Amino acid sequence: MMRWLATLAIGALIALVIAAPSLPIAQRGSEAAVRQEAPHALLAVGDSVPPLALQNLDGTPFDLSSLRGHRVLLTFERSVDW
Amino acid sequence: MGYRILCGALALGLGLGGVAFLLGFLQAAAPGGAAPGPLSPLGPNGLYFMAFTACGLIGWAGGLVGAARHPEAGRTVGTFSAWALVAMGLYRFVGWFTGDFAHLGNLPRIEAVIFLSLALAFVWLRPPAIARGAIR
Repeated sequence: MMRWLATLAIGALIALVIAAPSLPIAQRGSEAAVRQEAPHALLAVGDSVPPLALQNLDGTPFDLSSLRGHRVLLTFERSVDW
Repeated sequence: MGYRILCGALALGLGLGGVAFLLGFLQAAAPGGAAPGPLSPLGPNGLYFMAFTACGLIGWAGGLVGAARHPEAGRTVGTFSAWALVAMGLYRFVGWFTGDFAHLGNLPRIEAVIFLSLALAFVWLRPPAIARGAIR
């Protein structure tokens, strides 16, 4: 009995792992999903970056436009504060 | 027989992996040493936990060797190896799902299926229980 229960549970996990890429929940954040939800949110090569005003780690306001005219490398990372 | 082969093969893989991880840590810790290749992004903290994992893998491999030599006496090793393999498959899947390991592509999913399949093998190849007191 326990053997069959374990097989059922592990088999379900294997099916989940295999089928995961086609599940809607696994497609969040994909380029296709973003294009569908916010077609104007993606930038093309040569586009200007939209206004972006945030706070520095020390709380100082920072506006990306203050760097206009300079070479800027902009990276995005997931915050640990989730 | 299948259980013995499964335990022996997994013991070999885990033992070699554990020794390699431990040597990787020692190599990085040596004077002027740098972690080789893909291990370098781990940093000191990552290497520390890698060495900890290495010791655990070597201990796990030792338990599997015992189960391979005396399968009937090593049923519990098979049970908890199956649990550990399920856990290994789960965390790989979660890692793939969060996208933190996107640079690895589908490798975490493939590894998860392999580990879960090995867990299934432990479930089905584990020898039946024997009467208490039959082992001396």
